[in-house]
Amino acid sequence: MAVTTDSGAEQYNFDIVKKFAVMSLVWAVVGMFVGVYIASELAWPFLNFDSPYFSFGRFRPVHTSAVIFGFGGSALFATSYYVVQRTCQARLISDGMASFTFWGWQTVIVLAALSYVMGYSQGREYAEMEWPIDLLVEVVWVTYLILYVGTIMRRKQSHIYVANWFYLSFILATALLHTFNNLAMPIDLFSMKSYSLFSGTQDAMVQWWYGHNAVGFFLTAAFLGMMYYFVPKQAGRPIYSYRLSVVHFWALSFMYMWVGAHHLHWTALPDWTSSLAAAFSILLLMPSWGGMINGIMTLSGAWDKLRTDPIMRFMIVALSFYGMSTFEGPMMSLKEVNALSHYTDWTVGHVHSGALGWVAMISFGSLYHMIPKLWGTQIYSRKLVEWHFWLATIGIVLYIVAMWISGITQGLMWRAFDEFGNLQYSFVESVAEMMPFYAMRAIGGMFFLTGTVLMAGNMFMTIRQGKRENAILDAKLAHA
Amino acid sequence: MSEQKSQSQTAQTTGHAWDGDLEEYNNPLPTWWVYTFYATVVFAIVYWTIYPSWPFGKGWIGGASSITYVNSEGETKTHSWNTRALYLEDMNQAAAAQKPYFDKISAMSYEQIAKDPDMNGFIISAGKAIFADSCAPCHQSGGQGVVGFFPNLTDDDWLYGGSYDKIHETLVGGRRGYMPAFSEVLGGEQIDQLANYVASLSGIGHDAAKAKAGNALFHGEAAACFYCHNADAKGRKDVGAPNLTDSIWLWANVPATAGNEGKVAAIRGVIANGLNKGVMPAWAGRLSPEQIKVLTVYVHELGGGQ
Repeated sequence: MAVTTDSGAEQYNFDIVKKFAVMSLVWAVVGMFVGVYIASELAWPFLNFDSPYFSFGRFRPVHTSAVIFGFGGSALFATSYYVVQRTCQARLISDGMASFTFWGWQTVIVLAALSYVMGYSQGREYAEMEWPIDLLVEVVWVTYLILYVGTIMRRKQSHIYVANWFYLSFILATALLHTFNNLAMPIDLFSMKSYSLFSGTQDAMVQWWYGHNAVGFFLTAAFLGMMYYFVPKQAGRPIYSYRLSVVHFWALSFMYMWVGAHHLHWTALPDWTSSLAAAFSILLLMPSWGGMINGIMTLSGAWDKLRTDPIMRFMIVALSFYGMSTFEGPMMSLKEVNALSHYTDWTVGHVHSGALGWVAMISFGSLYHMIPKLWGTQIYSRKLVEWHFWLATIGIVLYIVAMWISGITQGLMWRAFDEFGNLQYSFVESVAEMMPFYAMRAIGGMFFLTGTVLMAGNMFMTIRQGKRENAILDAKLAHA
Repeated sequence: MSEQKSQSQTAQTTGHAWDGDLEEYNNPLPTWWVYTFYATVVFAIVYWTIYPSWPFGKGWIGGASSITYVNSEGETKTHSWNTRALYLEDMNQAAAAQKPYFDKISAMSYEQIAKDPDMNGFIISAGKAIFADSCAPCHQSGGQGVVGFFPNLTDDDWLYGGSYDKIHETLVGGRRGYMPAFSEVLGGEQIDQLANYVASLSGIGHDAAKAKAGNALFHGEAAACFYCHNADAKGRKDVGAPNLTDSIWLWANVPATAGNEGKVAAIRGVIANGLNKGVMPAWAGRLSPEQIKVLTVYVHELGGGQ
């Protein structure tokens, strides 16, 4: 079949995929560098240089936006455009629209980062962008939705491949979440500052409905879409269970929407809202694991690949971390556990076991699979892929272990009363206690960043090699 | 054998293929997965039964568990499980543990408190918590202060006096340190002479001739430093004027400044510009009288109490 060839230059728009793939690597390096920097600020505060522009408060959203929306977002655009075209055997409906999503999205990330450093922020976690940037996101996102749905409607076979359901749910849900969480009134047409339409507890509730579903649909469903294409492709085996994919897809999509309030346990939020969300979080465990089972079982019968194929290893470790953090999450959602974990580094560790372990690792695996195919060549150095794998894995483990210890220590210190009924520790004593773990976390981040830099270099060489090979091939064809 | 197995599985695919070789088996849902999911459903129902969970009409279903607590009016109330009551209960428990000590403290003298080992344990525990909340932001967690800003509370050099009564007075009413800016009445040379004299009092390297002239200025009517700092330059606690002879510095950052010239320059800066920033807020009204008493003994015991 003609569709299986990799150089379908006319048949598919791979140019847009290439652009997004390259930018996802660029943002990975930038975003993770900023992450290591702010982790180092916490361990060694002189790095703030007493300057507002270098302060943790401004750099932190730069880090989260660059890794989630820059790296993760670009990886999702790249893989979703790649997957939808190949599984629908249809070219994207419009090159212009595709190009607009690329330039629009990159502009969003750059503007967001600049505005945070200058001190503009809505103060909503993972939605810090002020209203003009929000509007640009909205336009880009609706274009993305039209492009994606339009391309699916052009498909050559009636069944829509599972990866596309997940990508589509991510695009739809993100449009919904972004719109409602950013309903705000600018104080002036020429001012960056705006006020949310919601206030008080309702505002917090809307923010965390957004916040958790950003995790659910942006960082989970979308990357499951990635997993559903690249894991069976890399393993060369069929998906383990179609039935499981249907059941866990709908269960996941239904359950996620209820659980945002578990970010607001022990606050002014009504108790019923909080326990409703806690129970739904427990119900979410098995639907989440459905994806992990389907991914890991797809490999059964080809386990030997783990010894020989470093890309497969990225994917399996990603699925394992996905399973672990989707177990940890529901556990932390129970009010009694949350009373200990809330506001501590445990939460930070949990997020990173998902973000580094699952999101970044599955993206690395998918990009390692896709980039050589896009440029019609082989990976420049498999040895570097091996190095990347171990650096990343060790980095994650250092990071998570540091945050578990420091988080539980914080939780226990903050709630400790002595026999006289007085708080046993002052806050600053708990801060002093964190020092070694903050240093350990920064070092874990450095490991992870080093691996990412190796990957970027390796992919740069791969692309150069691919271009050179194609040039030689073209020259030969021209001679003949 | 593995070929046989893969053949039997191939028979189970859904029959669709995408992008060349992408296929799906149609394996049934793993049994353990299904039953674990049912178990989480049971868990959720039990959780919802115990805790307040679903909205109903204008209220919500309260759940089976309840909390009995004492409210701020001292009435005992029972309510379905609720965060605020739980918090109140926790706070009441802590207050109950503190109560016997706070009850005793107002009737005891400072000396009695200091001599009673049990009471002393309470002072260290409660004093530390109050100090960490209210005092540490300026005086630092150990009470060591910051040169140039906040006095050290761990040494025996006191601006306003280190007796129990004086510390108490400072806490209740606050303090306001003030020294006029002498650049308004003295020339630069005179200020330099004074600075050299003050440096000489603490054994810092100085210009002897300038110090001699500074000595005359200090004790004469032109500068009249002795009004506040006393003729012996050991300060007057009734106006909060510091002792200039003990090598302890609060405003002029002498310890951190390198070189004798630099140290003299730091002193010169304080004389020339004066001070109007030695403000400590009053704590009466913000802390209870018992808490202030605890804090008085705690600060006294930081090391320098007199």
